[in-house]
Amino acid sequence: MFGYIRPHKAELRLREFEEYRGIYCGLCRDLGKRYGLFARMTLSYDCTFYALLLLGESLRCGGFYQGRCRVNPLKKCTYCGNEQKPVQMAAAVSVILAYEKLLDDFQDGGLGRKTLSLLLRPLASRGANKAGKEYPRFMEAAQRMRQAQKEAEEDPLSGLDACAHPTAQLLQELFSAGQCLLEVENSGTEVPVSPKQRIIGQLGYHLGRWVYLMDACDDLQKDIKKKRFNPLIRRFGLTEQEISPEKEKEVFSGVNEILNMSIARMSAAFELLEHSNAEFEPILRNIILQGLPQMQKEILFQKKEQKDGRSV
Amino acid sequence: MADPYKVLGVSPSATDEEIKTAYRELAKKYHPDNYADSPLADLAGEKMKEINEAYDQIMTERKQGASGYGRQTGGTSSYGYGSAGSSYADVRSLIMTGRIADAEQILNGVPSASRNAEWYFLKGMVLYKRGWMDEATNHISRAIQMDPGNAEYRAAMNQISSQRNGAYGGYNPNMRPVGGCTGCDICSNLICADCCCECMGGDLIPCC
Repeated sequence: MFGYIRPHKAELRLREFEEYRGIYCGLCRDLGKRYGLFARMTLSYDCTFYALLLLGESLRCGGFYQGRCRVNPLKKCTYCGNEQKPVQMAAAVSVILAYEKLLDDFQDGGLGRKTLSLLLRPLASRGANKAGKEYPRFMEAAQRMRQAQKEAEEDPLSGLDACAHPTAQLLQELFSAGQCLLEVENSGTEVPVSPKQRIIGQLGYHLGRWVYLMDACDDLQKDIKKKRFNPLIRRFGLTEQEISPEKEKEVFSGVNEILNMSIARMSAAFELLEHSNAEFEPILRNIILQGLPQMQKEILFQKKEQKDGRSV
Repeated sequence: MADPYKVLGVSPSATDEEIKTAYRELAKKYHPDNYADSPLADLAGEKMKEINEAYDQIMTERKQGASGYGRQTGGTSSYGYGSAGSSYADVRSLIMTGRIADAEQILNGVPSASRNAEWYFLKGMVLYKRGWMDEATNHISRAIQMDPGNAEYRAAMNQISSQRNGAYGGYNPNMRPVGGCTGCDICSNLICADCCCECMGGDLIPCC
């Protein structure tokens, strides 16, 4: 995905940061082990958040262990424990979304992106197919989303919310499906719509909106230049070839307020969540209440050059 | 019922004052206003009830020794769907019971010529409940434009405005961060002071 969902490092405790890194590295290891070397490249902070959120609802925690980084053998890493369902699900989500992204690039990218997508597709499809067999609900949700996104973009009447809806719905489905699978593992019975699934689904819906709108802002300049689709062009009537800094500021301030509304919904949902495993609660809280706003600040209000240096 | 102390997140040895503080914190967190028109409002309501019951239970148990504690009631949502003279009573009750799709269907059936301020308000509420924040805001501000004196619409707009400004989380570009003096500021201020001193013939930092 996009890598917008990450903690605000300055506000994390050292121990929390180590745990976060452990889950990040654990996800990387799981990706490599299950879906091959290529899948490791799909590793993202977004899917780490997914793993983290569901680890908070998981009854057992595998602990952490030390090991060497597979990509950079000189580096020592802390890995979260083996065979944890949330990490496995996050790995599946990661490869499925990466594959769908490639298909999407092929559909409406330029020549360069088309070629790249064609070259990478055989590498990505094996892992995605395997993940899709293991988690058919994830695969179906991703396919539905691609179709709905296309329809929303082609319909001249669909506004900003309608354009964000498919991504929001995808995350809602991925989150509540993940929670549903965890409940099956924990209790052995499947409850179609438990309160927790609703809460996590709502969190996912607004996170999806947030990611989609952030991405739209991030790409706005490029999309205007290359005459690609961007929901903000229609919403704010940006018909000119170039966008002036003042106009950009006006648009971004407007979007920032819409993003804040989604964060308000996310934090309200998060407060309702009674974590089965409260260990990761502070990191999750940090991401939702500090990491996401920090990212809004970086992408919408700070100069583009500064943005590239960010990393956790 | 679950252990009331656990519900409030305090130890059984906590003082009355600590319990009161914990209760107030939680009541603020799950206050109906925070979940007005959220699809999770019912879950927040249950949580609020649980907290109230836990607080009542603890306070009744402790009352043997001391007396005079009354809990503050949680308050009610600042706007309800019951205003008199509504031409959309059916839509309002559908929204209240969470049947958003049905409410929207009725609203969409109203021809655009006869859409009044209330129509825009209710459509805005439907959109809000669904999470379509941009269009919800537009519809409700349209309702206020058409009927500026309506307190119900204004209350809804106030809630939306404070969310947009980041009062419930998010980022506000016009707000200075708490403790607005960073390490960078200190250095640049010192260098600035040094320059000033040098201009006047003195020197604050000898090495530069």
